[in-house]
Amino acid sequence: MARPEEETESRENAEFRRQVRAWIQGNKPADPGFKLPQSFLEVESERQFVFLRDWQRKVYEAGYLGLDWPAEYGGHSDPHKRQRIVSQELNRAGAPFMVNVIGMQWAGPTILAYGTEEQKKKYLKNILSGEDIWCQGFSEPGAGSDLAGLQATATPDGEGWVVTGHKVWTTLAHFAKWMILLARTDQAAHKYAGISYFLFPMDAPGVTVQPLVKMTGEGGFNQVIFDKAPMPKSALLGQLGQGWQIAMTTLTFERGAAEGTGGGSATPTAESVRAVATLAKRMRRDGRAAAEDPVIRDRLAQLWIEEEALRLTGQRARVAGLNMDDRPLATRLMNKLVYSELGQRMTEFACEVLGPDGALWLGDPSAPDKAEWPRAYMNSFGVTIGGGTSEVQRNIIGERVLGLPKTK
Amino acid sequence: MTLRLEVPTDFGFTEEHALLRGETRRFLAERLPIAELRRQVDAGVRLDRGLWKEIAQLGWVGLVLPERFGGAGLGWLHLEVLMEEMGRRLVPGPFLGSLLAGIAIERGADDAQRERWLPAIASGETIASLALVEPGGAFEGDAVAATADPVEGGYVLRGRKNHVVGGADAGLLVAAFREPAGRTSLFAVDLPCAGVSVEDEVSIDPTRPTARIAFDGVRVGREARLAGDGAAALADTLVRGAAALAAEQVGGAESVLQITRQYAIDRKQFDRPIGFFQAVKHPIVDMMCGIELARSLACGAASALDAGTPSAEVHARMAKSLAGDVYAQAVRKGVQLHGGYGFTWDCDVHLYFRRALWSRPMPGDAIHHRRRLGEVLFDDAGGRV
Repeated sequence: MARPEEETESRENAEFRRQVRAWIQGNKPADPGFKLPQSFLEVESERQFVFLRDWQRKVYEAGYLGLDWPAEYGGHSDPHKRQRIVSQELNRAGAPFMVNVIGMQWAGPTILAYGTEEQKKKYLKNILSGEDIWCQGFSEPGAGSDLAGLQATATPDGEGWVVTGHKVWTTLAHFAKWMILLARTDQAAHKYAGISYFLFPMDAPGVTVQPLVKMTGEGGFNQVIFDKAPMPKSALLGQLGQGWQIAMTTLTFERGAAEGTGGGSATPTAESVRAVATLAKRMRRDGRAAAEDPVIRDRLAQLWIEEEALRLTGQRARVAGLNMDDRPLATRLMNKLVYSELGQRMTEFACEVLGPDGALWLGDPSAPDKAEWPRAYMNSFGVTIGGGTSEVQRNIIGERVLGLPKTK
Repeated sequence: MTLRLEVPTDFGFTEEHALLRGETRRFLAERLPIAELRRQVDAGVRLDRGLWKEIAQLGWVGLVLPERFGGAGLGWLHLEVLMEEMGRRLVPGPFLGSLLAGIAIERGADDAQRERWLPAIASGETIASLALVEPGGAFEGDAVAATADPVEGGYVLRGRKNHVVGGADAGLLVAAFREPAGRTSLFAVDLPCAGVSVEDEVSIDPTRPTARIAFDGVRVGREARLAGDGAAALADTLVRGAAALAAEQVGGAESVLQITRQYAIDRKQFDRPIGFFQAVKHPIVDMMCGIELARSLACGAASALDAGTPSAEVHARMAKSLAGDVYAQAVRKGVQLHGGYGFTWDCDVHLYFRRALWSRPMPGDAIHHRRRLGEVLFDDAGGRV
């Protein structure tokens, strides 16, 4: 049996893929000698951040980011839809991720959709180059899954606004120059109608960024407290009171329902079954390779089936007829739910493959793969919870795709 | 070594496929509403000759057979579409048997043999079946125990084959037998035939009548042995059969999803439609996600077969494995979420429940296919693992 590998593609795209692959081989940064974050959710130190930002700039300057963004805003207006190829090759090569993911995949596409010409000119190019890092101010202590219950306020003040409130789970806030911010601008209006969407400058006075510690013991995300923090009138994105609608667009991008834009991918999922299979060949169990254990083989084959099914579902989502027009949204809206839960089961299973040595944690010299597997398993919850929990995803799919009665 | 392959970016999907889906769906909605299916089940109809004739006239039996042998000459993605729609409606009768027998002859015979049998299969004039499963459950070529001993002018066939779809109505059987030298060969046997006994089974799925067949020293001529490499033809047929059955399972699971979804909207408890409650809503969503994933593999397998890429076997085994499990999950939740009504004969879900139980192990259940996939994942010398 031959193994599935990749889609057959046009000669031009195959040639482009070869170019990209060669460039990455020649330019991929060497191991910096300190621990790198597994994803953008856990960039802790300045040196980690600088390393990653420099790498993003290098990829951008080579012309491999923003291929699908308009050339007038720093992209390439590439008609060949080749950004995916770059992202695939970066993943395949195990290259470091693009640190400005929130900028490239969430803020950028939202600004492209709703921004004024001036806003697009001001923000987009620096998102791609990594010059301006972005963070997201949506969730609050009292508004998680029920995001529309948010209480942060933006009050008109002179020529602009002042913001007061409390945001949480703010990844990269300690390095960010800008924040996409949801704040209430009309207390009297309906829950959804009173929210507006802002592009907030993080260097404003009255902003306090405090680190939060994740279950892995690592930092990387924060809470942000606003005490009458000022922003200019031009910080508003879209119309006053249009915030909820725009936020839904951002979340659609965040959940990967739309094609990932800008470049890079938020979570490394490609090839993960193969990584676990390789692990199973290395680990011993009952005196032989774990890969020879029929139960291990069966469970890994199952994960391989699901991984390949998800890959083909992504491919199928782009073919109108095969998307089964009965419910065209299904294959796109289910993506985040399925890949996050599959990734979680994959890393959890890898921990089982480790056997007793899976009990060792970061810093132990005998920990297999420096304890990257249990760390990845713990970190996987950032993906099944962040951007709308799996439970909320199931509500959204049930209601929007299947027409089941609304929970809220 | 990197294996480059695969599923073409657009899966090779064309307007023609969409057309076939629409026509098939319309025809079956009119010809086979659930009330008609239930009438046939309750009356114990084994073969609805009228329906069989209509299906044959629509070109379904010969859909993937070459035009020069009376087929429609269409591709495997067409078959995927057709099987999905047929699975949705639980089309009863011997169709699957004739489909697989035709594929086996096309893969394993020479032109004279194809000319002899395929046009009659494609036109529906001959109901054929592929007799696959032996006592003990074996069906892949290397496990065939039935024997073909050469004698003057032909062979003597001995062995048993179970769960033969439409076997009691078949005029032609295709089956694998082992020759003394050890090679596996396919034989086509016209029925009735001295020494072949056919006995109805009580199928768990009344819409899929099956028979057990005994070959007790059956004399056949040399021309009954399909001329090609029997083991290769059987393997090819099993890949295509797994892909086709996976598509049928996806279609069946889709119907269960639709039925259950509607019930969750219509049925009220605690003053609300039960679909309001997340304990009901979420399993229905999981059902849908599983169906979409399995559908992607079924389309991928079909597309790889059309493109002639070597990943077809991997994709077909993946598709059959996942679709079988997804169908099983759908009927399990489907019955459960209907509550007390789900436990009754009146509720349609059990019809699908039966088909899901029937098709899960044939040909090859998820455990079987995962074992073979594990060999590729871990052992394939060409692979990167």
